[in-house]
Amino acid sequence: MASGLFSAAAVIAAKDIAVEWRTKTALVSSLVFAILVLAILYFARDATAVSAFEVAPGVLWVTFTFAGMLGLNRAFLLERENHALDGLRLTQATPPAIFLGKMVGNALFIGLVELVSLPLFVLFYNVPIWSRLPMLMLVIAMATLAFVSVGTLLSAMVVRTRFSEVMLPVLLLPFLVPPIVSAVQVTWRILADRPLAEMTGWLSLLGAFDVVFFMLSLMLFEAIIIE
Amino acid sequence: MDYPDNGAYMVAAYIIAAVILIGYAALLVYRIRKLR
Amino acid sequence: MNRREKALTTARRGTIITGLALIGLAGVYVRALMFTPIERFQGPAQKILYVHAPVATVALLAFGITGVLSLLYLIFKDPRLDHLSASSAEIGVALSVVLLTTGPIWAKPIWGTWWDWDARLTSTLFLFLLFVGYLVLRGALTDFGMRARFSAVLGVLALGLVPFIHMTVYWFRTLHPSPVLLKPEAPSMPGVMLVTLLSAIGVVAVLYVGFLMQRYAVTVLEDIREEEAAGGLS
Repeated sequence: MASGLFSAAAVIAAKDIAVEWRTKTALVSSLVFAILVLAILYFARDATAVSAFEVAPGVLWVTFTFAGMLGLNRAFLLERENHALDGLRLTQATPPAIFLGKMVGNALFIGLVELVSLPLFVLFYNVPIWSRLPMLMLVIAMATLAFVSVGTLLSAMVVRTRFSEVMLPVLLLPFLVPPIVSAVQVTWRILADRPLAEMTGWLSLLGAFDVVFFMLSLMLFEAIIIE
Repeated sequence: MDYPDNGAYMVAAYIIAAVILIGYAALLVYRIRKLR
Repeated sequence: MNRREKALTTARRGTIITGLALIGLAGVYVRALMFTPIERFQGPAQKILYVHAPVATVALLAFGITGVLSLLYLIFKDPRLDHLSASSAEIGVALSVVLLTTGPIWAKPIWGTWWDWDARLTSTLFLFLLFVGYLVLRGALTDFGMRARFSAVLGVLALGLVPFIHMTVYWFRTLHPSPVLLKPEAPSMPGVMLVTLLSAIGVVAVLYVGFLMQRYAVTVLEDIREEEAAGGLS
């Protein structure tokens, strides 16, 4: 029943948010990490030859990606302690509901990190985004969807291994190549005021990736948590 | 000789490919032997 | 015949096939190096194609087979599908090493640069890294069922990823020469070169089969050993 699916997902997402909000450890760490990466990458170039504007799109997405990966591990780490994953399965929640709940939780987490780091990005890199905000929001949303779809699935797998913090990036990054490259390509065109026609190719690649991998991740999640 | 003089690259590539393929085959044989 | 004996038989047959394929490879080497003409504009380095292209075809095939077998495992849950899938993945990784070494060695004399981020080699790089991750994941999981299920999920995901990686890298930059074999009209290679290339593909394909049988046997034998160590379930 569709309403059961969404309400179960909502409950799971709400639970995760509540748990995280109590200490905010992962959130604050990710935010600080994002700011540090933005700052360090600003200095990581020959400033006389390369303008901040030129590196900005790549920097933005590298920052989001790595800060996001810090947040992904957190979602299933909660359940690894206390065998809470078994508890979750014993509830009425079906695997798709659990996946959606976790994914939404991840999306909100990363969304918050993105929301806070974006103004700092504008500040540090002197990038005029306000007039182009809608398009930028769109590409950020689409790339974030790709990120949390595959990321939620892979983090569920990887949390059972001993070196999950290392394994997650290793497995996830190849999957992030198409969405992140597309996002960067669209972002620099947005910032450079290029016509929409130049972006549609990359946007459709990103969109297709979103559709395919959201569906795949949703369907495959069951195999991860059901014996 | 009217073609470029790049035979060294060819030799290098052929040798490396052979080493890797024969090496992998040897690895498999070694593992089978160890598990006998 | 119990499992152990069946595995050892497979291993033996696989080793024979691999041996024959390696002899065949030696034959291809001789033909390519001594009996195939040198291409006038690219020089002898062009002959690297006769090793690089067949291995590329079979590597992609190996990864594709892993993907399909992964999907089948998720449907049928037969552990043999998992064993085959993992074996194919490892062979794909080994073949990718050949690609990632011969590719740059070919590129340097022909394009003037060791690495150029062209679509195909870059895609191979990402697939290689992904499947190394696949093998590492397998190594990190000790529970048979979990290992099989998680590998299968990753395998299916990888299958879905391949076209996207290719599109991404291709759109970003492409420098790879246009395909010589798969054109609608007649292939633009002279017959004698074509025969070398096709026989090379055949030999590497047989090599894959031999490797697969050997690696499959190793997987089964390792499983048997783990079961015996865990408490005599043979």
